[in-house]
Amino acid sequence: MTLGTRAVLHTARKWKKTLLLFFLLVFIVTLVLSGLAIADAQEEQAEELRGTTGASFTVERDISTGGWSGNASTQEFLSEDMIQQIASLDGVAGYDASLITLPRMFNDKGEELAHENYSFYNYGSYNSQYHELFLSGRFELVEGTHITDDMTGSILISRELAEWNDLKLGDTLTGIYYPENDTPAVDVEIVGIFDVVADKDDQINMYDDTSYYDYSSFAFCSMDVAEGLIKGWGEDEEGISEAYFYVSDAAQLDSVIAEAQDISSINWNNYKISMNDEVYENISSSLKDTGRLITTLIVVITAVSMVLIILILSMSVRSRRKETGILLAVGIAKPAVILQYALETMLIAIVAFPLAYLSSKQVAGALGTLFGKTAANVIVTPQHFMMVAVVGAALLLASVLVSCTPAIRLKPKQILAQME
Amino acid sequence: MSIMELKQVGYSYDNKRKVLRGINAEMKQGKLYAILGPSGCGKTTLLSLIGGLDSPGSGQILFDGKDIAKTGLGDHRKNHVAFIFQAYNLIDYLTPAENVSLTSKLPPLPILERLGLTKEEAKRNVLKLSGGQQQRVAIARALASEAPVILADEPTGNLDEDTARDITEILKESAHQMNKCVVVVTHSNELAREADVVFRLKRGELQTLEKVTGTKNDNRRNGRRGR
Repeated sequence: MTLGTRAVLHTARKWKKTLLLFFLLVFIVTLVLSGLAIADAQEEQAEELRGTTGASFTVERDISTGGWSGNASTQEFLSEDMIQQIASLDGVAGYDASLITLPRMFNDKGEELAHENYSFYNYGSYNSQYHELFLSGRFELVEGTHITDDMTGSILISRELAEWNDLKLGDTLTGIYYPENDTPAVDVEIVGIFDVVADKDDQINMYDDTSYYDYSSFAFCSMDVAEGLIKGWGEDEEGISEAYFYVSDAAQLDSVIAEAQDISSINWNNYKISMNDEVYENISSSLKDTGRLITTLIVVITAVSMVLIILILSMSVRSRRKETGILLAVGIAKPAVILQYALETMLIAIVAFPLAYLSSKQVAGALGTLFGKTAANVIVTPQHFMMVAVVGAALLLASVLVSCTPAIRLKPKQILAQME
Repeated sequence: MSIMELKQVGYSYDNKRKVLRGINAEMKQGKLYAILGPSGCGKTTLLSLIGGLDSPGSGQILFDGKDIAKTGLGDHRKNHVAFIFQAYNLIDYLTPAENVSLTSKLPPLPILERLGLTKEEAKRNVLKLSGGQQQRVAIARALASEAPVILADEPTGNLDEDTARDITEILKESAHQMNKCVVVVTHSNELAREADVVFRLKRGELQTLEKVTGTKNDNRRNGRRGR
């Protein structure tokens, strides 16, 4: 009688043991497959979120290393060429730069707009959507469009300011840097209105011009407007003081910054870089926690399951010590005995694994919702199945081998004597 | 020529208590050998050594002139010897026919029928048979294996008198008609009387006893059921 026949007969006739192992395998493999699918859904969600939240870094002139002229720093400004070099790095999806001016604004009747401060805090901008204040979520565009580098004569103002002065999209304003000194007047059209989402507490104590300005007095204008405002007045003393670079995959922020710092034509002694990734960090930490929880659960389930299966197989093989002794005594070789036991387990697994694959397709979605996933996103793939089947089979074989070893190492007489 | 030969075979438990000391014996095909001795004297151990279930502490066991330790105990068990155990040692999830087929390619039914099992019994779960029937299955398994040496450990120990007598007859036939070398460890004087050669194991040493005569007459008197 071949070992295959013996294995089939044992599997069929010891059906209670067979069913126990079968259902255990179906249960465990279903859980592991579901776990893997949830883990993948988690990873996908993290990737999507990384793309959604993004992150940015700001390059600004480092006034601590530059000289001073009165109250003004003489540190060099950012050049257009330098900004383009950084913007062309892999991973940089967009950029913005700020030419800060402090103009006063007048409506079409020539009346100065009512606002909280003496003047506006106005960023000349290439792409306002990539400005750190928008990327960080402090500001949110609620009407109209962002400033883009192909726009001219455009401005974004806060909703508070718009309501205060009864302004709306399409209205025209006139900005003048120093009306007392007859600096150029520049006409602008309101193309967007933003909401102030955050308060300014985080900036209030910093040595920064913005400390003196209420967020409602902030504005973003196209770069031509900013340049027009300073024309003939302080052109030498004003320039782009900071630029923002948006990185689509927040996880790559460090490497992109490192690449930027490797650009040899930029004298980094004059500039400093800071990361703006609070949004990603906040979200990713909760994602990481969920991911860690899922990974831990998979590991725990797998470990407990394997221990359980090893125990059951071990008990099963132990209960078959006499059979092992008899088979050895009648001249069946040790490898054939081990192979028979392994084959029996594989016969069960070969039916249990595909069934678990099918059941996990039904169960994974429901389990995924427990971890805040959408059922449709939790998909058990054939790759998951292949991985679990290969690893599972290897573990089962190892379990059988480990369980067999104590008995197989004995001589047939010792085994039979123990049984008697 | 002897098929099994024991040369100065010694064995001790845990290298302390010597149970077998310098045992020499020769066993031939076509003969029934009985090994007698008190309980715990090492009879089963000796049988295990002859059958390759264990290795001797000293000495040699030769099959057909070759040391079984060198040719391999597994090979010896597979090709040279067949066991009949007192506890039958049948595989519980196999039928009698399947137990017989475990090590044999011969059709099991003729052998089982010759040993008194019906076709229906041959297909029943082996644990549902009586002790005597299970012992017959064990014997059938040994006979079907085609091994030239049959080793039986107390084959009639758990059986009633009539069944024991039948089993003894089968073993005798195996030796005399099937030309097997049958070695039986037993407490049974009846079985020993049927043996061609009787050994007594005493204090670790094997002695050959004079052949006990009158067995046939005793059997006739007891109305032995022939087969």
